[in-house]
Amino acid sequence: MEVLSHLMEGFAVAGTPTNLLIALIGAFLGTVIGLLPGLGPINGVAILLPIAYAMKLPPESALILLTAVYAGCEVGGRISAILINVPGDAGAVMTTMDGYPLARKGLAGPALSISAFASFVGSMVATVGIVAFAPLLADWALAFGPAEYFALMVLALSCLGGLVGDSMLKALIACLLGLVLATVGIDANSGVYRYTFDLLHLSDGIPFIVVVIGLFAVSELMLMLQSLHAGAAPVEMSGRTLFNAAEFMRVKWTILRSSVVGFFVGVLPGAGASIASAMTYSMERRMAGEDHEFGRGDVRGVAAPEAANNASAFGSLIPMLTLGVPGSGTTAVMIGALTLYNITPGPTLFQDQPVIVWGLIASLAISSVMLLLMNIPLIKVFVKFLDVPNWILVPGVAAVSLVGVYAVHGTVFDLVLGTLLGGLGYLLRVMNFPLAPFILGFVLGDMMEQNLRRALSISNGELSILYSSPISIGLWIGAILMLIGPRLMRARQQRRALQAA
Amino acid sequence: MSERIFGMFLLCLSAVGLIIGWDLKAAFSYEPVGPRAFPLLVHSLLAVCALLLIVSRRPPTTWAPSPVLLRIGAMFLIVLAYAFLFDKLGFVISTVLMCIPVARLFGGTWRQSALGALGLGAGLFILFDRVLDVVLPTGLWLKPLLG
Repeated sequence: MEVLSHLMEGFAVAGTPTNLLIALIGAFLGTVIGLLPGLGPINGVAILLPIAYAMKLPPESALILLTAVYAGCEVGGRISAILINVPGDAGAVMTTMDGYPLARKGLAGPALSISAFASFVGSMVATVGIVAFAPLLADWALAFGPAEYFALMVLALSCLGGLVGDSMLKALIACLLGLVLATVGIDANSGVYRYTFDLLHLSDGIPFIVVVIGLFAVSELMLMLQSLHAGAAPVEMSGRTLFNAAEFMRVKWTILRSSVVGFFVGVLPGAGASIASAMTYSMERRMAGEDHEFGRGDVRGVAAPEAANNASAFGSLIPMLTLGVPGSGTTAVMIGALTLYNITPGPTLFQDQPVIVWGLIASLAISSVMLLLMNIPLIKVFVKFLDVPNWILVPGVAAVSLVGVYAVHGTVFDLVLGTLLGGLGYLLRVMNFPLAPFILGFVLGDMMEQNLRRALSISNGELSILYSSPISIGLWIGAILMLIGPRLMRARQQRRALQAA
Repeated sequence: MSERIFGMFLLCLSAVGLIIGWDLKAAFSYEPVGPRAFPLLVHSLLAVCALLLIVSRRPPTTWAPSPVLLRIGAMFLIVLAYAFLFDKLGFVISTVLMCIPVARLFGGTWRQSALGALGLGAGLFILFDRVLDVVLPTGLWLKPLLG
């Protein structure tokens, strides 16, 4: 009951005319950013965050804007996936598998509307899941001391190592680079200047926005130049724009199943929308048995990944809100947003800042409804954005990103640093180093160090405090399993394949 | 090969980090772990990973063909120059100067690039500085003119 009254308060916050307008703008911008190939939720949130901050939006409105953009990006990514076979972001990769074949068959309209509906259901299921589970998890997390927190962060980082990218070593290196950047600046406990090279600008540490915009937005521009010649021909939108009853009956259970699975995958730290959509796609394909057209244009093939995509994106807000540990690159950026406003996410957030938490949760539901209402009738408008030529889009994105960096401190130093990090980001991406661990390492670095030092202060330097409680032992075991589990499974599969041969 | 080179670079980075980190000591401290423990830990781990990257066999990185790489390098330098000139020339002029070559790199004609750049420079200035209240630099060159 208490949850319901909090939720009503949340709706009161998110439902003010200003915040509704902000959610509407965010959902629209998010859809546009999501559908533009190359720009994904991280870029969207990263570019808008400094602008929201510079506009002096109150924290709850800024978060509502960012979550609406986040939700919009997850929905927008499917438009370019279906129409031009180019996923707008990583979460929409699986949508191209059946979306583009459907569009080639002249069924672009039904594919777009079914995926919009699937996204909506996925978001709503995940919002209900957040309301049901997040307060419980926050209560439980109140028992966490510094040692448990330290173990939890190690778990979060090891999840990434096991799941992301083509090589664990590369994920680990990316994460360590993030940690290296996080150690720059004055040490909060002793006042010692660390790695500042006598540069005044570095004494407060490297600003979060500089790292995010540099790594993601600036490097993206260079990647766009690289992939300029690899585009597919767009499909003309023709025929009906809405799915029919037969198509709906075919996908209804797919959508529900994928939403639930996607939500739980999203809650796991480190496992993001791309894993959730790939998992549900192959699950549905297997369940369909013989009777399917997966890969050649099956409506279930667009419904499953889109439902899972949105459900997992919202699910990843749970570890962010309750534990202060981001579950994905985008939520890492949002944690940065919270800290800009001097809000520390974590178990006490639900007690200290109910307006922010419940306002945010309510705005998830509101922006999902807006996205559904916006996406089906306005689809032809959104499709027009795909016609924006790169020669105006790319310089525009470059200017807007750098304005965002400049807006926070107003120094050229940040701009130059951001650009240099953009160069580094490009090199890392070309060499297949995943960037999500980098940004997570950067965000978690400071928290990890503080918790480690606090724990060791309590125990007077005795290392055993780090593994003395059942919770921390459980977390350490989880971390080890996440590191070696995927390897063991791969080894077992290889052995089976050998035996079969 | 390129990963090996990057591995060497990381190894140098961690060496510098360890050397600087070793001298990080607090004048007095109330806690058992000082300011240098965490950085030293991170840099040591980085050194180990860099070594693994150097010795392990991996599929070679595929780089873009060299004409494309040249264009990417040019793009990087243009954005870097933009960052340096942002304050001095002011937002509008530096943005126009950045947008023209970038638009050219992305296949715009001279006419399109120039018009697009002017539109972006003026449009974004009005949007951010006037509508959204984000203060943007007008440029140091303007000061003497204004007296």
